[in-house]
Amino acid sequence: MATLELDSITKTFQDGDDEIVAVDDISMSIDDGEFLVVVGPSGCGKSTTLRMIAGLETITSGTISLGDRVINDVPSQERDIAMVFQSYALYPHMTVRQNMSFGLEESTDLPDDEISRMVSETADLLDIPSLLDRKPSDLSGGQQQRVALGRAIVRDPEVFLMDEPLSNLDAKLRAQMRTELQRLQDDLGVTTVYVTHDQTEAMTMGDRIAILDGGELQQIATPLECYHEPANQFVASFLGEPSMNFFDVTLEGDRLVGDAFEYPVGAEIRDDVGDVTDLVLGIRPESVELVEAAGGDHDFEMTVDVVEPMGDENTLYLQFDPDADSEGAATLVATTDGLTPVSSGEAVVARIPEEAIHLFDRNTGEALHNRSMEEAAQQIDLS
Amino acid sequence: MKDDTLRTDGGTATITDRLRRNVEQMTIEDAGLYVVLLLAAGFYLVPIESGLVTSIKTGTAIVQTAPFAPPGPSGFTLAKWQAAVEALLRGMGNSMLYAVPATIISAFVGSITAYGLTIPDWKQSYKALVLALIIAGIFIPYQAVLVPLTQFWSQWAQLTDLLSFVWALGIPDDYVGIVELVVTHVAYGIPICTLLFRTYYKTMSEEMIESARLDGATLRRVYRRIVFPLSGPMFAVVLIYQFTQIWNDLLFTLVLVSTESSPAAPVVLILAGLGTSMEGQDFALRMAGAFFAALPTLAVYIFFGDEFAEGVAA
Amino acid sequence: MSNFYQRVRRAINLSASDDQRVGDGDEGGRDAVRTDGGVVSEDSRNPGSEPGVLDRLAAGIDGRLGSDFLESSIFWIPPFLLMGLFVYGAVIWNFLISLTDYQRFANAPDYSNLDFEMYTRALADSGFIDAAVNTFILLVAFTAGTLAVGLILAILIDRGIRFENSFRTIYLLPMSLSFVVTAQFWLWIYNFNNGIANRVIGVFGLGPISWLGDQNIVLWAVIFALMWQFSGYAMVVYLAGLRAIPDEHYEAAKVDGASTLKMYWRVIIPQLKGATISAAVVLMVFGMKAFDFLYSLVGGYRPPNGADILATKMVREAYANLNWAYGAAIAIVLFAMALGVIGPYLVYEFRRNNL
Repeated sequence: MATLELDSITKTFQDGDDEIVAVDDISMSIDDGEFLVVVGPSGCGKSTTLRMIAGLETITSGTISLGDRVINDVPSQERDIAMVFQSYALYPHMTVRQNMSFGLEESTDLPDDEISRMVSETADLLDIPSLLDRKPSDLSGGQQQRVALGRAIVRDPEVFLMDEPLSNLDAKLRAQMRTELQRLQDDLGVTTVYVTHDQTEAMTMGDRIAILDGGELQQIATPLECYHEPANQFVASFLGEPSMNFFDVTLEGDRLVGDAFEYPVGAEIRDDVGDVTDLVLGIRPESVELVEAAGGDHDFEMTVDVVEPMGDENTLYLQFDPDADSEGAATLVATTDGLTPVSSGEAVVARIPEEAIHLFDRNTGEALHNRSMEEAAQQIDLS
Repeated sequence: MKDDTLRTDGGTATITDRLRRNVEQMTIEDAGLYVVLLLAAGFYLVPIESGLVTSIKTGTAIVQTAPFAPPGPSGFTLAKWQAAVEALLRGMGNSMLYAVPATIISAFVGSITAYGLTIPDWKQSYKALVLALIIAGIFIPYQAVLVPLTQFWSQWAQLTDLLSFVWALGIPDDYVGIVELVVTHVAYGIPICTLLFRTYYKTMSEEMIESARLDGATLRRVYRRIVFPLSGPMFAVVLIYQFTQIWNDLLFTLVLVSTESSPAAPVVLILAGLGTSMEGQDFALRMAGAFFAALPTLAVYIFFGDEFAEGVAA
Repeated sequence: MSNFYQRVRRAINLSASDDQRVGDGDEGGRDAVRTDGGVVSEDSRNPGSEPGVLDRLAAGIDGRLGSDFLESSIFWIPPFLLMGLFVYGAVIWNFLISLTDYQRFANAPDYSNLDFEMYTRALADSGFIDAAVNTFILLVAFTAGTLAVGLILAILIDRGIRFENSFRTIYLLPMSLSFVVTAQFWLWIYNFNNGIANRVIGVFGLGPISWLGDQNIVLWAVIFALMWQFSGYAMVVYLAGLRAIPDEHYEAAKVDGASTLKMYWRVIIPQLKGATISAAVVLMVFGMKAFDFLYSLVGGYRPPNGADILATKMVREAYANLNWAYGAAIAIVLFAMALGVIGPYLVYEFRRNNL
């Protein structure tokens, strides 16, 4: 087993006279046996990155190495990599058994009985021995998904690459396969790179997640780090549903001054910010608290504009200025317990706790101050 | 039937269907539609039907009965069919001799050409250029290559000498024309066969091919194990279309075999001169011959009409 | 220069990966897949050999043209060459021959004295001018007429009728027949004494007409027969085009209050532009190949007076009169006409990335 190393990988496409940079100078190192989820909006370069690792796209510059071996110019079939595609890409004219044997037949000199033994073992592992003699067209989406996985597993590769493998399944099956994939990856211990646009998959499945935007790597860290200590405003907004509240503010003395409110901050935070004055204040909806009465500088009297009951929780859209037209006015999104009765038009007091805020440089998007993960953990303990 | 369709109306029927059914409800317009369609069908069938009845008429019946009416019992004869079969049977065999191999070879060659120009990964703009050159070949008027073709086969490629061992077996060396026809039809069949297979291969899942390559298969193995086994439906289309084209072609046979008296003369060549003599034209014989010569293509069309339609529509 | 270094680096990488793989095998691997050395690759077949000039050249070509270029060339280059020689090689050769004075029973043209004499001769030949005019009339009238009939049939058949498949099969049937065969049928239909054509117009008190004997009529009689044979083709192409139009367009037009006729004229037919273009190109090509039909009509090189087209004139000059060079020159004119039709079409498809 080996570490997969991407070093300053860049990919440009030629489109007429324009050069389009699909992947821009990405470096990361995926440890042996690690499950890395690459996530980002569509067009962020995540699939291109995966296809470069697979050898399906050429690399414009940079190197990819597996262990000590640079694999830039090694043809895909010699990279010892297996890939699971979004469409599963099963061979429609072959039975499940033939689908699973194909890779071993083409890439090894193993005798037939050995191949068939490995296929049956893998089928057992995936609970699909009964499907072995059926054709892909006779299988349900979930079954096809398992066969596609089996086809990758049976080859016992150094690295698994998965390109949105669950996105064609319905929601329930997807949740089930998510757990199962994690279990399999734990058992097999094969280095896995998993591409998705779904943040739930990213948060729940990966040992670490790599967040891409515009072809650039935004952050690579554990899911909780990315969530609580985002490297920049993009990461902060990409993870979390509903997404983080952002307010443009200016640091004036010890106060953050926004269009709708002023917010005093302590010396510690001012140290983090340094001499940057154009800032963005970020606060996650679940960090906003509703309190009985205004009791400090961080409490704001607000009006409930819209309530979206989700069952376990309510999503509230709060307005600083009750007279403002709901379009374009500063709105604070907060999530509260689903059982707390709140209705539209009601006046409430919202507290934005100082220890939960994030501050970003408005020009670069870079995070200047994040809540620390320890504090976040403490807060959970207290409540 | 109409009641049935109307009853399902509210359910899953699409708007167009409903719209079309609205048209059906207007019975006068509806009837008119079918009358027009039947008249058109008549228009397409009359020349063929008239040929068929004429082929079984005696000389007097031809003059006395309407051209589209069947002959009475006294005017019925199969003599013309017998004569046509006698005159054309040898030609049928000769046509088979080149049409079958040329069809199979050109379909296969078209398949691998289209594969090489569609599935492997190389510069799209160069692929498109090569394809444009190949597709242009479909539209070349063959007159533009006839004189060089004659030169090539008569002066440059001395097949008659090369195949002397064949003539030694007692086969007349006229049959060199058959070999020339096979090669010629394959060469000029490559463009259309490539185009037909290309449209098919373009729709193949790219991920499936990538998956096969990641599984360790070389391009050759991908063709043999994935693409070729999946090409069945398109092979049916191409084989049928190509067979019809080659069987029906007159120009190349005229130029390469030249005389209908040659032992290697294909059926179209013999048919073109059949029933013409000094005394005038023997229409019954001509019709019988036309039908006999068209039998293979008619059979193909009747049994594989859908594939034929798909081939011409591409 | 940088290209060269890239190639060298690539070559070194290849041999490095060789060593790696051999080492892997020596260690004995952990499982069956890997003990055999992983994958069978080209470079592991002769381990240790220095990458040759050829390998580097190959890497360079692949780098420029795409990673599969060399491996895929075996599939398409031989057929492409064969077809290229027979099509483009022959057209160029034909052009050369048209510049010579090649005629009669000489074995080969004399290429030492090239001029455009055959083309000036063509311009002075009234038979050539007539044939060119006839070719033009035939192409335009046949293509337009066939498209119109095909469109009407397609619209009628697309109206959700019963027995749709049977009607379609009947309309397309003539297309499966050889020109040689259909020529026999039409010869009989156009027969002066017993032909159906004269019987039909006789019902209206007209005729009889000598369809194939009258110089002013014969070309139109031929065009009519060709339309009979190919309108089914136009119908199939239009039908595919109609089926590709979403149902919503019919719906929207109907909701907007358009009458059926207006709906087709304003909404549906404009969307069939693509189908019309491709069908027209193919029909024109069929029209240029009408040689087979005219030859079979008379069983000889000389079509009825008034129906001579370039295709028949070319073959007659070359193979009956043995004026090889003159025939070649006519062929070049015909080729130029074809190019005038298909050249723009192919460029149009190429630009739209449709190839």
